[in-house]
Amino acid sequence: MRSLFRGRTHADFSAEVQAHLDLETDRLIADGMSPDAAGAAAQRAFGSVALVKERFYETSRWIWLDQLRQDVRYAWRGLRHSPAFVATTVMTLAIGLGLLTIAFTIVNAYVLRPFAVRDPDGLHQIVWHARDGGGQGFRWRDYEDLRRRDDLFSAVIGEHTRFVSSRGRPLMAAVVSPNYFEALGPAMRLGRGLGSNDADGSGDPVVLTDQAWARLYDRDPSAIGRQIDLNGRAFTVVGVLGPAFTGLGDQPRDVFVPLTTRWQARRGQANEPRETELIVRLQPGVAAGQAEAALTPFLNRIIEKQVDLRAEVRPQPSPNTVSVAMLAVLAPVFAAFVLVLVTACANVSNVMLARAIARHREMAVRLSIGASRGRIVRQLLTEGLLIAALAGAAGLALAAWGLRAAALALFSTLPPSVAPLLRLRPMTFDYRVFLFALGASAAATLLFALLPALQASRIPLIDALRGQGGAVRRGSRLRNALVAGQVAVALALVITAVTLARNGAAVGRLNLGFDPAGVMSVNVRGEQDELARPLTAGLLADPRVASVAVTSGNPLFNQVRHVAAAPAHSSAGNSTALTFVSPEFFPMLRIPITRGRGFRPDEAQSAAPVAIVSTATANAFWPGGDPIGRTIRIERPQGRPVDELPEYSEVTVIGTAGDIVTGMLVMGRDAGHIYLPMTPANPHATAILVRGRTDRELGADAMQEIFRRVVPDPQVFEALPLGELRDLQMYPLLAAGWVGSLLGAVALVLSVTGLYGVLTYAISQRRKEIGIRMALGATAGAVVRLVLTQSTRLAGIGALIGTAGTFAVLTMLNTAIHLGAISLVDIGAFGAGLALVFAATVVAACQPARSATRVDPSETLRADA
Amino acid sequence: MKTRSLGHHQEQLSLLQGTLDVLILRTLVFGRQHGQGIARAIQQTSEDVLLVDHGALYPALQRLEAQKWIAAKWGTSANNRKARFYAITRAGRAQLSQQSNRWRRLAAAMARVLGPDPANG
Repeated sequence: MRSLFRGRTHADFSAEVQAHLDLETDRLIADGMSPDAAGAAAQRAFGSVALVKERFYETSRWIWLDQLRQDVRYAWRGLRHSPAFVATTVMTLAIGLGLLTIAFTIVNAYVLRPFAVRDPDGLHQIVWHARDGGGQGFRWRDYEDLRRRDDLFSAVIGEHTRFVSSRGRPLMAAVVSPNYFEALGPAMRLGRGLGSNDADGSGDPVVLTDQAWARLYDRDPSAIGRQIDLNGRAFTVVGVLGPAFTGLGDQPRDVFVPLTTRWQARRGQANEPRETELIVRLQPGVAAGQAEAALTPFLNRIIEKQVDLRAEVRPQPSPNTVSVAMLAVLAPVFAAFVLVLVTACANVSNVMLARAIARHREMAVRLSIGASRGRIVRQLLTEGLLIAALAGAAGLALAAWGLRAAALALFSTLPPSVAPLLRLRPMTFDYRVFLFALGASAAATLLFALLPALQASRIPLIDALRGQGGAVRRGSRLRNALVAGQVAVALALVITAVTLARNGAAVGRLNLGFDPAGVMSVNVRGEQDELARPLTAGLLADPRVASVAVTSGNPLFNQVRHVAAAPAHSSAGNSTALTFVSPEFFPMLRIPITRGRGFRPDEAQSAAPVAIVSTATANAFWPGGDPIGRTIRIERPQGRPVDELPEYSEVTVIGTAGDIVTGMLVMGRDAGHIYLPMTPANPHATAILVRGRTDRELGADAMQEIFRRVVPDPQVFEALPLGELRDLQMYPLLAAGWVGSLLGAVALVLSVTGLYGVLTYAISQRRKEIGIRMALGATAGAVVRLVLTQSTRLAGIGALIGTAGTFAVLTMLNTAIHLGAISLVDIGAFGAGLALVFAATVVAACQPARSATRVDPSETLRADA
Repeated sequence: MKTRSLGHHQEQLSLLQGTLDVLILRTLVFGRQHGQGIARAIQQTSEDVLLVDHGALYPALQRLEAQKWIAAKWGTSANNRKARFYAITRAGRAQLSQQSNRWRRLAAAMARVLGPDPANG
């Protein structure tokens, strides 16, 4: 058995042969021969020892290693002699591999990364559901209560997250229970995690994530023990986490601090906000259902004003949630990156094919002196592998550089108020990325090197040795197919890029229906609706503020609720957006009141049963009629939190307003919208709009200053300029356009060079023919036509395939994705793509055509072969 | 090597392709044996009709071992010399019975085709 796994050594085999000879000699001596004669006879009966040993060597498993060493040495020598060939092929492949590696590294960081805690499958989250809502936020004293339930749980972790400021720099903080580190057991890079004696508030310890350590301390190990300012208070760094753990949620954290009264002034009081999430480990033998049943009476005690309360104990989602929908979105993106690599491979394949054809005489010599075909193929594949290995290494370097550049570009192009809040997952080059790069390089080798290698080994010996390229014709057909494929891929990517860019531009031009310039949006975090009134009063008292409006959800935040609404006496209700707004809403956002009038302050004060409807709703409910004075029936929404709407079951329309975009830009303007009046005292007032006296919106600093005047902890409010929200929504579209354009450009350049290479080569092969044609009177124009015909024929076939394929895929995607403002099948993009590819074809053909006209007939006719 | 002069062994038959494997397996059915012993045993049981090229034996053993039909282990011979002993495996026995049937059928078929020996008949 051992010999099968390790291979038998040569020495072992020699020993066996020697043993045979000795035994045979012994035997012959016993038969009566003299020792000398016996030795000779044994030797004679055995035959040539050397030959047998050679046969052993050939059947042993090490021969391939020897041959591989030979092949690598030979390939290396061959490559060293053609640096230009190596440079072009390695660079081309490195671009393709690098781009694909970037894509994979991002997928790896966001999708494949494991949940770096001890026993992640044992973690469960406690969620509550009720008829009118649900949530996963609890108060600190609920944590204290559940912590004692060791009949159910072996560990209970409490955590809430918030942004804190470290000398103006926002940091994502996780405020955690004392057992957090002990229960999760994440790997520490430096120092220690938080422990139970950190909770008494005597010290102020903080643990940093690897990323925060890099950003704040530049990976300085002496950071341990240093002081860091958080919200104006000095904390001591006691530990740094390993790079794999960034917190329990999908939003990476920066710092971990123990929960003390410093983080929640109302901790333990009745009005403490429900902001702590509870994560538990069940006791062995306790099923989730059992825990749910045991928790329901507890919920009824701690959560007020809810009916049908029940608990859910669900597995804690991994920070990487791979859903089918997400894969469906990712797959085409990933496919685009793969296509670029395929294009790069086609280019390299083409170059290698030309090189193989140029070397066909060498191959013929090797074949005729006894090299097997397999050996020749292996030899050429080794050359390919060597190139792929170099390209893979270069691709990794390129990917590392590209990711850094992309992150820099991302942070510098994001809306300024969002950029400092964004946290990227660490993009580590772990073993998965290396394995992927290795696999991609190997696959690429098969793609680009196998065809040329098979081609080269198939040459008819006699022709090749005589110097006539028998394989040339077949080879050129293959090269043509590769170029046509390249053009098809480039066209597909260019069309996609143009489609994305045009859609992005169209969405960018979309009229919101309101004017966001100069308006700040403030959302009240959590359930603290009683904060809207003091904040409104505080804002109005500030001399920089011109007007303030409150809403139940600001436009562009995609937080609008939908209710079933219908004209009175009509049976079926339509799902329609519903927003509570204060009377200032329409004038502040410059939304035109197209008919009737706006809300009056007394209507807001008394919550009068009046409504303003959007033009779209008016047209839908009363086509061609006058909506003013008509009645709308609004059904009480089901399963929505605290919707006390009895007095609104019938409302009278007093005016119509222009249509606006309240949700996602890509969905376009609202299909219908009903506005109801309210004041800041209304429990629905959870968002605020502020317009300053000047055209520029009030800065974040001014807002913070006002917030601080209203409440001690300004973190309960998040303020964003409304205009930047539009930019933020636009951003993915723009980014998709940029990435698409990059891929399209790379593919286009690759196919132009591929086409150029094929044409140049074809003309060098056809010099004689062109010379004869010119001698017979062909004009330069006719020769140029000859080259252009070949070029456009190749590009034409590619374009045909590319157009058809792209049309099919985009049509399919278009029916799968329903976005009001987006159309993926864009005839203009197809036209632009085709024009671009055609222009590229002409560019690629220019130089070869010129060189073709310079063929000197007298010279080519004289030269032989 | 197959063409070397055989002198007084002229009447011996060279082995057909594939027969050596069967002979080795058959020999090992009687117990473990080293290479030289296998060569001797084949010669003796065939009453010196079959010539085993000792050198050709080893690549064959190597091949059978790779197929896992035999297993090898170093040991000591009867006269106290170190030798590599071979033993037949379960897979080897299955292979042997399959191959023996084939050879028997082949031999019978050949005998039928050739008919009674015309020189003797």
